[in-house]
Amino acid sequence: MANRCQLIGLAVWLSTAQVALSSAFAINELGARAQGMGGAFTSIADDASAIFFNPAGIAFQKGLQLEMDELTVIGLFRFFPSDPPAGTAVPANGYSGSVKPHFIPVANMYMTKDLNPKWSVGFGAFTPFGLSANFTNFKDADPTNTKFVGRFAGTRARLESIWIQPTASYRLSENSSLGLGVAVVHTHLLLEQSILNPYDEGRTFGLALAPLVFPGLDPDLAAHSIARFLPEGRSRVAGTSNSPGFSVGYLYKHSASKTNVGLMFRSAVTHHLKGRASFAFTDTGAIKPFLPSPDTISKLFPNQEIRGTFTTPANYVVGVSNSAFWNSTIAFDFQIQDFDRFSSIPLNFSQTQDTATPAERRLFFNFGNSYQLHAGIEKRLKKIRAVRAGYIFDHTPVPDRSVGPLFPDSSRHSFTVGASQRLGNAEITLFYQAMKMLDRKTNVPTNDNQFTNGEYRNFAHLAGFSMRLHFGRDVK
Amino acid sequence: MRKACCLLLLSVLGGGASQQKKLDVTTFVVLGEGLAAGMADFSLRDVYQDKSFPAQMARQMKTIFPQPLIQSPGIGNVPGFPSLPVRVPTTLQTTVRTPFPPYLFVFNLSVPGFRVADSINRRPSPPLVQDRDAVQTSTNLILGFPALILGKGKPLWTQLEYARQMNPTIALVELGYYDVLEPAVKGDPSLLPDVAAFRTNYSTILATLKGLFAQVLVTTIPDPMDTAYFTSLSGATRLVGAPADVLAGLYKLHPSDRLTVNGLATIGSQLQVNETGTLPAGSVVSAATADQISKRVDALNSEITSLAQQNGAIVYDLRTFFRLMKASGIQVGSKTLTADYLGGFYSLDGFYPGNTGHALIANELLNLLNQTYKESFSLVDVNAVLNTDPAVRFTPAVKRPGKGSK
Repeated sequence: MANRCQLIGLAVWLSTAQVALSSAFAINELGARAQGMGGAFTSIADDASAIFFNPAGIAFQKGLQLEMDELTVIGLFRFFPSDPPAGTAVPANGYSGSVKPHFIPVANMYMTKDLNPKWSVGFGAFTPFGLSANFTNFKDADPTNTKFVGRFAGTRARLESIWIQPTASYRLSENSSLGLGVAVVHTHLLLEQSILNPYDEGRTFGLALAPLVFPGLDPDLAAHSIARFLPEGRSRVAGTSNSPGFSVGYLYKHSASKTNVGLMFRSAVTHHLKGRASFAFTDTGAIKPFLPSPDTISKLFPNQEIRGTFTTPANYVVGVSNSAFWNSTIAFDFQIQDFDRFSSIPLNFSQTQDTATPAERRLFFNFGNSYQLHAGIEKRLKKIRAVRAGYIFDHTPVPDRSVGPLFPDSSRHSFTVGASQRLGNAEITLFYQAMKMLDRKTNVPTNDNQFTNGEYRNFAHLAGFSMRLHFGRDVK
Repeated sequence: MRKACCLLLLSVLGGGASQQKKLDVTTFVVLGEGLAAGMADFSLRDVYQDKSFPAQMARQMKTIFPQPLIQSPGIGNVPGFPSLPVRVPTTLQTTVRTPFPPYLFVFNLSVPGFRVADSINRRPSPPLVQDRDAVQTSTNLILGFPALILGKGKPLWTQLEYARQMNPTIALVELGYYDVLEPAVKGDPSLLPDVAAFRTNYSTILATLKGLFAQVLVTTIPDPMDTAYFTSLSGATRLVGAPADVLAGLYKLHPSDRLTVNGLATIGSQLQVNETGTLPAGSVVSAATADQISKRVDALNSEITSLAQQNGAIVYDLRTFFRLMKASGIQVGSKTLTADYLGGFYSLDGFYPGNTGHALIANELLNLLNQTYKESFSLVDVNAVLNTDPAVRFTPAVKRPGKGSK
């Protein structure tokens, strides 16, 4: 049974796609039980998902626990541009950034085992960072006015940062423990966007060609028109990395007051990506027949090896919970993620001789730090093992300047409910989360030519379940 | 190209629908015939092209407007006057097209002598100069230059294809005038375009432009009968000195007949030497013919208006403007311009306006854009244009007192 569960868990995990659910591209919803309580679980950490929420928690767990968590997300992302170019056909209900299919599965797997009264070990495979946004509403040959207006700022982003984390925990005392997990972090990043924006970099190209195309005319004005003679291009940058990371947790349980205090730190990780950049261009553009050869522009943008670097933030969480009243547990977490580490992604191209791909192209994001407040309650019952409810406030780290198709982000309120039921040595847990992202209007002059200013209206439904199998001593 | 690459390094990678109705004048493309091209005084040449109403609009809108300027004495023939063989280059011409090296693309795609069907079908073809075909030579020099001299494989676009390739943000369509002008000048209504065929072709043009998501501005077709090329017998007195009833008697004319510029010139010459004879063909247009032409113009304009509505284009009623000019003229500073021959509005050919006329049309269109798109384009200083406009200085010869009594 255990092996089958592990295999199922691994298979689901391998086939998953991820979506950003918490601040920017952080994912905190990695345990169904925790999420029923609004994710306020750092001071509880009494199931195998403690490997993610607080590694110190596994020191208090008996026997062998196998847990598989599955999360399904329906993200409804809408963008209403405030000042698109003349003639743009904006859908009446805005541009959709939802991925297809709408149901995004996110799966995680945890295992814990006590070795002796002092030591416990565990293993987790989980995805604390992920992103999946897709504003690609077009084919390259479509009329330009029907294409997503912000495509030059990005059309598709996909990030999966998977932590494969062996963990050990030590009981410092009867009431306290310390846990440490060391992880290999496998990361895959993909960014797609359109290039040769006639309102932006296309004009730089136009400025260079102005003396040849329109000799004697105002070069700045000429550049604006020449930019419209260019084909439209698409770029895709994709890379992977394997980097180290670690988590540290501390858990203290005050028996008399039935109060727990938990601390958790998950390290920042710098990802050194290796991958490829590829480019393609439409067969349009008045300038094309007059260039030295039909593939002049393609030669300027050769497909090539690429390297890049970015850093995912560290997490600092403090939690407190109390189980003294109403046969319930009330929990609160406060979490900080230092997203200010995510300031830019330098992309280093390998073919820079006689091409238009630079030695380095840096994508700036300049995130700030984010914080989250988690509050939850779990009520233990007789027929149903427990019911839960929770609330989360999540303050976005994304500044207005960086809000766009890659990060259509805003602060958000979430309300969660959940329940668990025992079936022999198995426990099934369900949760639902309604996530309302605050409508966000941006008006950043430097984004005018990217056409990412406007209103972002987002909502997400999250639902998940977990199956936990408990073998051995003191089965709860 | 190397420089272009370097500059690109700086910038690449940076970074039920409702269509946005706002004006972007980045690329202003004009599809037209002689009127929008700036044809005046029997030919297309740089001094008038520079003052064509699209060119004056572009200056006010502060956008580039590369034109295929032709060195004087220009190219092209005009209906109603003898056609001359194409001589390019001729005396005073060097490169013919200016500036040189030429613009790779032009935005004023108007070709003198173009009918609506030509906009869709006629494309440049070698050789560049075709001495028996002025319209084809004009097409080559406007739409096919420099493609025709750059070797094989370069695109030879029709006017409409060219417009599509320019990816305009705003397009102006001034077509149809030549379609009715030639039949009017020849006094032959059978040459007038078939309304259904006209509609089909015009629809193709507007649908294509609509597909480019440009803001499209169309002008209705002026009625040739409102132009200075056609003069009533009473109006002729001012030019030839003889009263209408005398002219009617001498040349067996009906009081409602209209005299063409050629007719006026012939009558003037004959009266000067006191010899009257038969007027050459094309000198007189009967009221019935004029009425037929005007009605067909109305029918064509009705189609233009209807198609414009269907395709989201805005319409400027150029026909009404010409009619008002005919009815009352216009005061510019201390000068009153009229639609009479040598009245200041039209150039010497009688149906293409002079520089001031183009300035007035430009201002009408700018006003329409300002109203439609809440823009604030300043208007052309018509007085300044008038002061340098040859058309304004042309006036009928005045009989000097006492000179004729000798």
